[in-house]
Amino acid sequence: MTSKKIKKVFIEGAITPSFIADAIAKHSTKKDIGAHSIFLGQVRNDVINDKEIKAIEYTAYNEMAEEKFHEIREIAFEKYSLTCMHIYHSLGRVNSGEISLFVFTSSKHRKDSMEACTYIVNRIKEEAPVWGKEIFEDESYIWKQNTP
Amino acid sequence: MKIKILAFGILADIFGKSEWTIENIHHTDELKKHLEYLYPRLKSMKYAIAVNLVITSGNFELTDGAILALMPPFSGG
Repeated sequence: MTSKKIKKVFIEGAITPSFIADAIAKHSTKKDIGAHSIFLGQVRNDVINDKEIKAIEYTAYNEMAEEKFHEIREIAFEKYSLTCMHIYHSLGRVNSGEISLFVFTSSKHRKDSMEACTYIVNRIKEEAPVWGKEIFEDESYIWKQNTP
Repeated sequence: MKIKILAFGILADIFGKSEWTIENIHHTDELKKHLEYLYPRLKSMKYAIAVNLVITSGNFELTDGAILALMPPFSGG
């Protein structure tokens, strides 16, 4: 662990479009940036055995997840030439159609921000100790499985 | 010797609890055997074990006061 401050990643509930808009707006003062890349993960209303998913409830091993997000951030900064990077992930209940993951990378030129964004999303999916419970209309649920 | 156990996702459902303490377990293999005896469904499940925030591999020796997490495959994002 480095001495750098661990940035807050988890947000209770959905990540709102206005939160995302504000995050973009805050970068207008950083005029050396030439490219932003954004990944938004949205809760999908899959139908399983005739029942539609209406929400995902996220839980995490918070302490370990915060360390993992920090590690992913540090490695991405080493690997790519980035001006800045933001990662936000929901905890608790997020309805279908709402945003649960927001990854935002910025660089001078597009290649770094685009590749870093994909890299970070993949590592989060594979390595962050977060679990999604997919809840149907009748409140029954199954545990989410990530696709590779 | 006490070990604190944390269970996540579907494993917390199977155990019916997400946090408890056990005594006199010295290795992760011993714990797995103990839990699989109590909860046979566990035998067919895929899960990782983290000890003090680090994912272990093989039979890992436990020390007093360790925090052990039982984690099914991650499904964030």
